[in-house]
Amino acid sequence: MLQFLLSGVAIGSIYGLIGMALAISFYVTRIINFAQGQLMMVTVMITAELASSGHPVWLAAAAGLASSCIIGILSYLIAVRPILLSNRFSFGWLVSTLGFAVIVENAAAYIWGPTSQAFPPILNSISVPIGSAVLTAQQILAIVTAAVLAAGFEIVRRYTLFGKLGMATAADPEMASAIGANTTVVAIVAFAVSAAFAGIAGLLIGPTTFANPYLGDTFGTYGFIAMMIGGGTERPIAAMFGGILLGVCAEGANGLINSQASDWFPFIVLVVILIVSPKGLFSASNPLFRPRRPASASR
Amino acid sequence: MNPTTDQASATAKGLPAGSWRAAALLAVVAAYLLATAYIAQSDLGFQSLVLVTAVFGILAISLDLVAGMLGLYSLGQGGFFGIGAYMTTILANDQGWNVFGLLVLVLVVAGLAGVAVGAMSLRVSGLYFAITTFIFTLVLTVLATDMVNVTGGLQGLLGPAFPDFPDALQWLGTPLVWCTMTGLLLCLVLVWNIRHSPFYPILLSIRDAEPFAEAAGARTAAIKVGVFGVSAAIAGGAGWLFSFLGVVSPSQFDWSVSLNVLVMVLIGGINTTIGPVIGAMFVSMFPNVVNINPWLQEIVYGALSILAITLLPDGIVGVAKRILAPLIGRSAPAPEIVAFGETSSPAIVPAPAGPTSGDEIIVECRGIEFGYGLGPKVLRNVDLAVRRGHIHGLIGPNGSGKSTLANVISGRLTPHAGAVLVKGKRVDGMPASSRSRLGLRRTFQAAQLVKELTLTQNVMVGLFDRVPGIVRRAALWPMLPSGRRDLAAMHRRSVDTLALVGAGEWSSRQVGNVPHGIEQLTQLATVCVAGPDVIVLDEPATGLSAKEVRHLATILANLKTQGVTMIIIEHQTRFLFPLCDRVTVLNAGEVILTGSADEVRSDPVVRQVYLGE
Repeated sequence: MLQFLLSGVAIGSIYGLIGMALAISFYVTRIINFAQGQLMMVTVMITAELASSGHPVWLAAAAGLASSCIIGILSYLIAVRPILLSNRFSFGWLVSTLGFAVIVENAAAYIWGPTSQAFPPILNSISVPIGSAVLTAQQILAIVTAAVLAAGFEIVRRYTLFGKLGMATAADPEMASAIGANTTVVAIVAFAVSAAFAGIAGLLIGPTTFANPYLGDTFGTYGFIAMMIGGGTERPIAAMFGGILLGVCAEGANGLINSQASDWFPFIVLVVILIVSPKGLFSASNPLFRPRRPASASR
Repeated sequence: MNPTTDQASATAKGLPAGSWRAAALLAVVAAYLLATAYIAQSDLGFQSLVLVTAVFGILAISLDLVAGMLGLYSLGQGGFFGIGAYMTTILANDQGWNVFGLLVLVLVVAGLAGVAVGAMSLRVSGLYFAITTFIFTLVLTVLATDMVNVTGGLQGLLGPAFPDFPDALQWLGTPLVWCTMTGLLLCLVLVWNIRHSPFYPILLSIRDAEPFAEAAGARTAAIKVGVFGVSAAIAGGAGWLFSFLGVVSPSQFDWSVSLNVLVMVLIGGINTTIGPVIGAMFVSMFPNVVNINPWLQEIVYGALSILAITLLPDGIVGVAKRILAPLIGRSAPAPEIVAFGETSSPAIVPAPAGPTSGDEIIVECRGIEFGYGLGPKVLRNVDLAVRRGHIHGLIGPNGSGKSTLANVISGRLTPHAGAVLVKGKRVDGMPASSRSRLGLRRTFQAAQLVKELTLTQNVMVGLFDRVPGIVRRAALWPMLPSGRRDLAAMHRRSVDTLALVGAGEWSSRQVGNVPHGIEQLTQLATVCVAGPDVIVLDEPATGLSAKEVRHLATILANLKTQGVTMIIIEHQTRFLFPLCDRVTVLNAGEVILTGSADEVRSDPVVRQVYLGE
């Protein structure tokens, strides 16, 4: 039982990081970057490539993260900004970010081929017994990293001027630029940070999954579910809670129902949660956590 | 679809060029049938390419029906598509059911699934709607993958064979081609018909200005769910066709398919009849036209879709329209701009049904209490009685609860306590749309109109509950004699009403291209056109010039002589007081005083809190 819980939290932290990555870019621009999973994949592929050609792992990882950030910024400049400039409320970004994802994924498949490649084990080979359970040091690293990043992001968002600038840009970009905020810079930073979050998630999971150009699909989807379960569209940190819940559910279902259950059980959880609280479990507007207000239209 | 019905639809508009249009449409349909005959005889590779394109064309049309006309960006189309394909395959292969019987079943089941998903996800709107439907597709894909015994898992199932033509019709070629192309044509005719029915402005008003549609009597939630159900049924039908094309497997219905369909719609041109099909052609034929390394091909595809969406936000059809418009000469010369203050208007607005006696209380509020969320009460024990035929003013400082009271009366908000009575009937449990049927209409402080429609089309929305069967007949509208007759009558009445309020010169302009004053008058026309008994006007004079305000006062005075009761919220007392029989003053959610304009003007408390003395 403890084992499911702990490994669930470990994998959930990864989902949560990707969910937060999606939520951070959503938070500032009100778009969901469908290329988020691919940004994670870029870090994994570059790190694997550099590490296998003999560079030290830390250098490879740093280069991987940097390239994710660059591609993240490119995704904003190419696929998001032009659309939002012409019409802030259009859904064109659905097409363009998906198109960007297709480009990145297939470019990776073209360069490295569709098969998996070795990824440096980092801390994966050390096992740490905790009570009756056993975790790898990599899993513990994932939990700690996720906690630090989530908390750090929340602190920056709430207590620094830049975080507040992000909130202002999210609420009303025109107003934010009217009071002197450079909304483009805010958005670029948000996309870079979100790409870094996704990239770090990639470094944490890489030793288990190895480097595959199609990694982005699966993890992008799980990150998305994490964000939706948690309600990360309103508060990025809620995506982390959602991710951990998702991870525990998936691991628990695997162990307690059958080995295929993690394929479908999280979706049942998701559907139930969305029926109860359409905007996510940990969102500000969750009716469960708030006194019910009478049905009323907004003024 | 046979040529005769299309001929009927061509003459439907009753335009001077009616026979021209009929001939043109006949030619198009004949060309379509000839092309189908050609395809049905050609080689299998080409056939399957066309069939896949046509199936996705149908799917794209089904999405455009909800995304273009209602603004509901559904990512559930892949799910409904899958329901259709799996049901057909499983029931035809394992149970040996007749495939045409299955078509009916598929349409019903997919439609009902659409209604269920729609009812569940319409609690949220915009992006959350897209996400909820997205998850629906995700769940179905997972089910199809995991229920290996029934669905064959990732391998999928081989679809059933399509029945052959009887011997006498063998010369026609491949039957599936005829069936698919007929399906596509039917879908095109369906959306074309809807676009040429009075249901279309109503759908767009639900999309862009839901309170307006509700106030005009449209039960917007039911319409959304219903149209979503139709869209789901069409997507299910596309799945039925798809099952005959080969293997049915989960990857053909996953969320990326739903997104691809959206790509088709956006690239082709959203909210156009032919755009989705053009988009489907682009997406489906792309791999066959560009035949290179599959990864490079995908990269080019991704790049093209980004380019298309950033450079052509209106899609291919939007661009074509812009290029062709000057050539066809559709862009009629702009009507001469006449400041409407100059045109005097003998407002003979359609008379209300009831008698005009000044004693009957037509609208009454008793002890209304209301507050937003957990905040302080906005209305406290508000009593209001409005007599038939009166103009009743409602004034008070900002935040005193005037607009909230208007929303409570018209049904946008439900009071926490108290009763609202219209013509002696309690209405506080009724939605806004039902109150409209009682003859209660309202305007909005910020005009709620559809910017891309003409003034006339917007005013036609106001007639929604005065013309029976608008929803029921929409699918066939231009083909029905009654439809053509009613449309002409609605059009005439709307134009007349616009002329009566003094916006006649602008009637064929789009709302997005008229000045604010005309927009306000259009709002007034949308309520007057229905011949209401009571009109609630929320700050009608806001943002109008002095001349426009005088014009508005004339119109309202004329309306009063017709026996229309009005409740007017307004800050400009100089405009309001001369019109009013009674004035109620609100302050901080409470009624301070109700009396004649003179009484209100001379009351010391009112002078203090409102007139600022």
